[in-house]
Amino acid sequence: MSGNRKWIVLSVIVMLSMVISACGPAATPAPPTAAPKAAEPTKAPEPTKAPEPTKAPAPTAAPAPTAAPAATKAPAATAAPAAAASGDTTVFGAKLPADAAPYDQQVWTVACDIKANQITFDFEVQVYQRFCLPDLFQDQLVTLDKDFNVIPNSAEKWEVSPDGLTWTFHLKKGLQWSDGTPVTANDYVATYQYLPDPKHAWDFAWFYAGVLKNWDEIVAGEKPVTELGVKAVDDYTLQFTTKVPWPAFPAMMEFSFLLSKKQMEKYGPMYNSKVETSLSSGPFKLSKIEPGKRIEMVANENYKGMRQPKLQKLIAQYMDTSTTFAAFQNKEIDQLGYEWISPADMDIIQKDPVLKANYFPHFGDFRTDYLVMDTFNKPFNDINVRKAFAKAVDRDAIVKNVLTPIKGMPANAFLMPGFPASDKTGKLKDLQSYDCKAAKDLLAKAGYPDGKGFPKQEMWLRNEAAAWQAVFQAVAASISSCLGIQIEVSNKDYKVYMDALNAKPTKLTFGAISYGMDYLDPSNMLGIWLSSGRHSWKNDQFEKLVKDASSMTGDPAKRNQMFMDAEKIWVDDVGGIFIDHRWLGDLFQPYIKGDCFRKPDSIGISAWHWGNDWCWGDVYVSKDVANAKTYRNK
Amino acid sequence: MARYLLGRIISLLFVLFAVSVITFSLMHAVPGGPFDEGKQRLPDAAKANILRKYGLDQPVWKQYLKYMWAAVHLDFGIPYQMPTETVTSLIRKTWFITFQVGIMTVVLAFGVGLILGTIAAYRRGSWIDTAVTFMSMLGTTLPNFVVALWLILVFAYGLKLLPSGGWNEPNDWLIPGVFSKDWILPVLAYALLPMALVARYTRASMVDAFNSDYVRTARAKGLRDRTILTRHVLKNAAIPMVTALGPIIPDLITGSIFIEAVFRIPGLGKYFVTSTFNRDYPMIMALMFLIAFLWGVTYIVTDVLYAVLDPRVRLGGTMQ
Repeated sequence: MSGNRKWIVLSVIVMLSMVISACGPAATPAPPTAAPKAAEPTKAPEPTKAPEPTKAPAPTAAPAPTAAPAATKAPAATAAPAAAASGDTTVFGAKLPADAAPYDQQVWTVACDIKANQITFDFEVQVYQRFCLPDLFQDQLVTLDKDFNVIPNSAEKWEVSPDGLTWTFHLKKGLQWSDGTPVTANDYVATYQYLPDPKHAWDFAWFYAGVLKNWDEIVAGEKPVTELGVKAVDDYTLQFTTKVPWPAFPAMMEFSFLLSKKQMEKYGPMYNSKVETSLSSGPFKLSKIEPGKRIEMVANENYKGMRQPKLQKLIAQYMDTSTTFAAFQNKEIDQLGYEWISPADMDIIQKDPVLKANYFPHFGDFRTDYLVMDTFNKPFNDINVRKAFAKAVDRDAIVKNVLTPIKGMPANAFLMPGFPASDKTGKLKDLQSYDCKAAKDLLAKAGYPDGKGFPKQEMWLRNEAAAWQAVFQAVAASISSCLGIQIEVSNKDYKVYMDALNAKPTKLTFGAISYGMDYLDPSNMLGIWLSSGRHSWKNDQFEKLVKDASSMTGDPAKRNQMFMDAEKIWVDDVGGIFIDHRWLGDLFQPYIKGDCFRKPDSIGISAWHWGNDWCWGDVYVSKDVANAKTYRNK
Repeated sequence: MARYLLGRIISLLFVLFAVSVITFSLMHAVPGGPFDEGKQRLPDAAKANILRKYGLDQPVWKQYLKYMWAAVHLDFGIPYQMPTETVTSLIRKTWFITFQVGIMTVVLAFGVGLILGTIAAYRRGSWIDTAVTFMSMLGTTLPNFVVALWLILVFAYGLKLLPSGGWNEPNDWLIPGVFSKDWILPVLAYALLPMALVARYTRASMVDAFNSDYVRTARAKGLRDRTILTRHVLKNAAIPMVTALGPIIPDLITGSIFIEAVFRIPGLGKYFVTSTFNRDYPMIMALMFLIAFLWGVTYIVTDVLYAVLDPRVRLGGTMQ
C-alpha cells in the first residue's frame, strides 16, 4: 500500500505547511524576551483610598451669581513657538519638567470602544455620538478647578445684570484658531445659533430649554435662530439673555464648546471630522482620523489658551472592552477609565501594589443608582408600598459585598455627598434606611400582609453590564426576601427601556436606572424629578421649591437650603429608592505624571475630576517610560 | 439550465422583496429611534426635529415606498452611524476588509478541515481519527471570542510574536503588501469553528462512501486506493458536504463582530450588531439585503453544483 501511505504523508505535509504558514513567525525560533516589569514609579504615590463617605467635601459654592472671578492670566504667548519644539521644549516654547521624557515621547494613548457609535468630536454637534478624545479643539468659556469651582477658561471674566437675566462674558484677547485667525464673540454667536436650529435637531436640546431666551420657540420652529438670547456686543464681549434668572448659568457654560463660524459656513458643522477641514482653537489639533482604527491629534502650536499641553501627541486606539485591561498591562495604553475595568480586573488592581497606587477613584459625574416606580398607578401609588420597598433594601450589605466599596457607597438620598446642597447632617439617612421589620409593617398597612396578594413585579434594567446586573439582582433579592414579594429582574435593550420610561403616561412600572449630573448645580440633578422630567412622580411642594430655587438670585445660602428642603420632601415621599452613589476612577500608568490628578484636592482626593479640563495642560510622560515601554524603545 | 437559472434569479428577487417588507416593518415596530434620551426627556419639538431630519415623521408605508424607490436606483441612504459616508460607500469600504478575512478563513477552514476529515475517515478508529474528532468537538464548542482572547494572551502578550490587534499596520508586514502578521490570529480564531464543522462533515460523508457498494466493487476490480479515494469516494461524499457546508461561506465572508472587535479590524462585522442597537435603519436594511442576496446566491450555486457532481441531478427540466 505504498500509494496509500504516500498520499497520507503528502496530506500531512500540506496540512503542516498550512499550519506553519498560518503561525508565521512562530516557525523561526526567536526566544521571546521576557517583558520588562513595569517600572516602579520613582515616588510611588500613596494608595488612594476611596474617601470615607462621611468626610464629605464642603459643597462648592455653587456659581455665585454676580461674582466675577478674577482672570487667571493666560501664560504670555511666546513668539514663534513652532520652531522651538525639540528635546525638552514644547511647541509652545515651554521647558518640560526635569523628570519628563523627551518631547517626542510625550505621547498619550487611550483606548476607544470599537463598537461605539461615533460621528463627531464636538458636543455641539451630537452629544451622544462623539469620537474618543472629544472637545479638545476648543476652550469653553469656563471650566472647573480641582474643587469644582467655576474658573475662567476662554472668558476672562463675566457679570450678570441686576435683574439676573443678562450674562456678559468678556473673552480673553489673543485667542486664535489653528490657522492663525482670532477667536471672536461672533464664533460663539454662530455656535449658539446653530444649537437650537430645527434642521440641526440637537440631541441635547433639553439642556437650554426654559433657560435661554427664545430657545424653546426656535426649537419648535416658531422663531428664527437670530432671535436667540445671545449676541456679540463687540468682538470680545458676548451677551446671553435668559428666560428667567438662572444663577447656574456660568456652571452650564462648562459645555460652551466653540465651533468656528468660518468653517461652519464653508464646510458645515461636521468640519472637524476631516483633517483637511478641521480647525482648532483648543490645545490639540486633528492629525489623523481612521474611525474604527485610530485617531491622532498633535499639540496645536497656535493655541493661546491657559492649558498649553506638555503632551505632544494624543492617540485613541480602537479596541474591544474585553482586551483593554490586557493592553494596559502590556503598556499599549496609558490610561483606563472605570467603565473599561471588569470586576475581575478590579481584583487584580486591588492586589497589585503598583496598579493600586495608580488607580485614582473620583466622583465622576456624581452618579446615583436608584429604583424608579410608576407612582401614579397601583401598587406604587401607595406611599406605604414605596416606603416598604425602600426600607427593604439592605444597601450597606449590597455595597459591601456585591458592588464593593471601591466602586460605590450606599446612598440615602439622590445628591452624592460633596455635591452642592447634598445632605451633610445625616437627617435624610433614616428616611429610607434598611429596616425589614418596619418594611413589613408598612406593607401590611398597605393591605399586603407578608406580601400576600401583591402583584408579581418585573424589575427592568437598562442594558446593564454583568457587574451591575449582579447589584440589581441583589437589590431585588433583598426586597423579595424581606417582603415576600416575587420580583423578576429583566435586562432590557437600552432604547426599549428609555422609550418606556419617557412615555407619558409611563410604560415602566418598576425599574432600576442611574443618573449623573450635567452641570454642578442642584437645579440639574433635582430638575429631572420635576413632573416634566422622565419620572412618574409628582409632588407640588417639591416642584415649587425646585423651580423657585433654580431661578433665585441674591441669596446663595437660602437657595441651597431650598434645594435641601426639596430633596428631603422627595426622599420622604419616596420618589425614588436610592441604592448607591458610584465611585468612578482612572487607572494610569506609573509614568504618567501631573499634579492635577496626583496631588490631592482640598478634601484629600487625588483624581482627575469631572470638568478638570485644564489637566490637559498639566499631564506628561516621565522618563520611567523608557523602562516600561518596550515597543517604544525598538 | 439557463431557464432554470433565470427562474431562480427571479425568485431571489421576490425573496429580497419579502425580506425588505419584513425587516422594514419589524425595525419600525421596535421602540426607540436614532436619538438618545438616556439623560432627559427631549422636549416634544426637539424630538420632532430629529424625526423630521431623518424622514421618520412620515407614515411608515410612505417611508417604505420612498426607501424602496431609492434602493431600486441603488441609493441606500446615509448611515446614521456615519453621516459623512453613504451606506454604499461604508459597506464597500468595510466589507473589503471583512472579505479578505473571510476568504482567508474559508481557505484555511476548508483546506485543513477537508484534509483532517479525509484522514480521519480513511483511518477511522485510529488515534488520528480520535484526535480529529476531539479537535472538531473543541472547535464547535469553544466560542471564537474565547479562542481569540486566548490567542492574544499567548501569542501577543506572552510570546510577543504577533500583534494583539490592528489591520495592515505599517510595522506588521511580513512581506510588504502581500502578507501581514495582523492577519494570522484573527483568521486562526475565526477559522476554528468552520474548520471543525468541515472536518466533521467530511469524515461523516466519507465514512458513508467508504462503506458503499461501489467502493467495494472498485476495490474488487483492483483499483488503487488513491484512485478509489479521488474518483469515487470524494466525488460521492461531496454532495452531502456541499449541502451542509456551502452555507457557511456567506456567514464567513460577512464577518463576525467578536473577531473584528477583539482584533481591532475595521470591518463590516460590527455593523450587523451596532446598527440594531443604534436603530440605524438605512444600514439595517442594506445589511439585510446583502445577507439575503448572499444566501440566495449560495443556494443557487449549491444546486448547480449538485448537477455538476451528480449526473443523476437534472436542473430545470423534466426527465425525458
